[in-house]
Amino acid sequence: MTSFDSKKAADIHRHLHSHLPPDPALRVKALESLAVERGLIAPETIDAWVEAYSEHIGPMRGAKVIARAWTDPDFKARLLENATAAITEFGFEGNATGHLHAVENTPTQHNMVVCTLCSCYPFSILGMSPAWYKSAAYRSRAVREPRAVLAEFGVTLPDTVAVRVWDSTAELRYIVIPERPPGTEGWDEDRLAATVTRNSMIGTDRVLKGA
Amino acid sequence: MDGIHDLGGKEGYGPVPVQSGDAPFAHDWERRMWGLAREALVPSITIDWFRHGLELMVPGDYLTYSYFQKWATNYLMIFADDGIATLDEIAAGHVAQPAPPAAPKTTAQIVEQVRAGCTDFSTPADTAARFGVGDTVRTLPHGTAPHTRLPAYARDRSGTVIAHHGAHLLPDEGAKGRHVGQHLYTVSFTARELWGADAHPADTVTLELWESYLVPA
Repeated sequence: MTSFDSKKAADIHRHLHSHLPPDPALRVKALESLAVERGLIAPETIDAWVEAYSEHIGPMRGAKVIARAWTDPDFKARLLENATAAITEFGFEGNATGHLHAVENTPTQHNMVVCTLCSCYPFSILGMSPAWYKSAAYRSRAVREPRAVLAEFGVTLPDTVAVRVWDSTAELRYIVIPERPPGTEGWDEDRLAATVTRNSMIGTDRVLKGA
Repeated sequence: MDGIHDLGGKEGYGPVPVQSGDAPFAHDWERRMWGLAREALVPSITIDWFRHGLELMVPGDYLTYSYFQKWATNYLMIFADDGIATLDEIAAGHVAQPAPPAAPKTTAQIVEQVRAGCTDFSTPADTAARFGVGDTVRTLPHGTAPHTRLPAYARDRSGTVIAHHGAHLLPDEGAKGRHVGQHLYTVSFTARELWGADAHPADTVTLELWESYLVPA
């Protein structure tokens, strides 16, 4: 059983630090072997998880939700009211979206999401997070100098646009609704979804390209 | 805890790896680590104990290990703590007495498992909410031991409650394996309150904060 004993956990960490080669590939191989031999998981199940998140679960889901919000005002109202409930209309609910909140960009407001304490991310709607989202640079700087961080992503904000950074310190997760790109009047949902980038739903991309 | 993981506002970490870090994985072992962690390998842990375990890593390792290297190390700690494997078995990479193998899952089963894994962290509290939307609140100047979700950069600062989410599982207790509900709020802080006069006057940072982290301003 888990001890929930901080001192014991820290002692084990120090032991691992001193006695185990740091090579991450070896550590993961050891972990997988131990888990498989204990009957906790089958190796094929790991492959199935990777395939599920490559083929079925990813930012294409979020993009579909955003495209619907752009074309259906009633859906957008439901999404802003309760995003966890709204994405069940697509069957996209799941891991880490039990408390999902959608936040909307406007001509005078930009939203950006970070998790400074770990790496919380709305997996079932955006898939696996990019490595930069988990980097020390992004986690440390997004709250302190969001405009400088955005500039590194190629986003330059005028002074007239306010930035709100959402630091995910609880089990709430965020998806940004970017502004609909100009020149997309009359486009159907599939075509609109193709304009939505993963980064725009995290808030590190802002101006999407239409035609 | 006031550990190395509490990165918000710290300086010196350089540019964000926008291009080189665009993909979720750089190596196959990262993919396998992520897949392993998707299954509930250790049912008795809590999400807060997992996070707290990462915080308890040797600080130099936390800063220099890649993300999934930290996960692998934390799971090995959890295996040892939980008794799933001894330290000798971890060193050997094999257990002395294997159990019957787990049945493999298909991709379709995983997709359904993801959908069914929509967890609600709402947990009733035995007190009425102390704060309401629009209230000005102040954060405590310190965290709680051993685990807190009040980052150092947002301590002893004044902000405005912009949402009340009812009561949620309190991570401070979750890290001890206890299931306790407490009112949870989204609090907005001006960038100037957090970072001083050089910050943009219109910018804000929001955090989800539990009631015990807050006092009336």
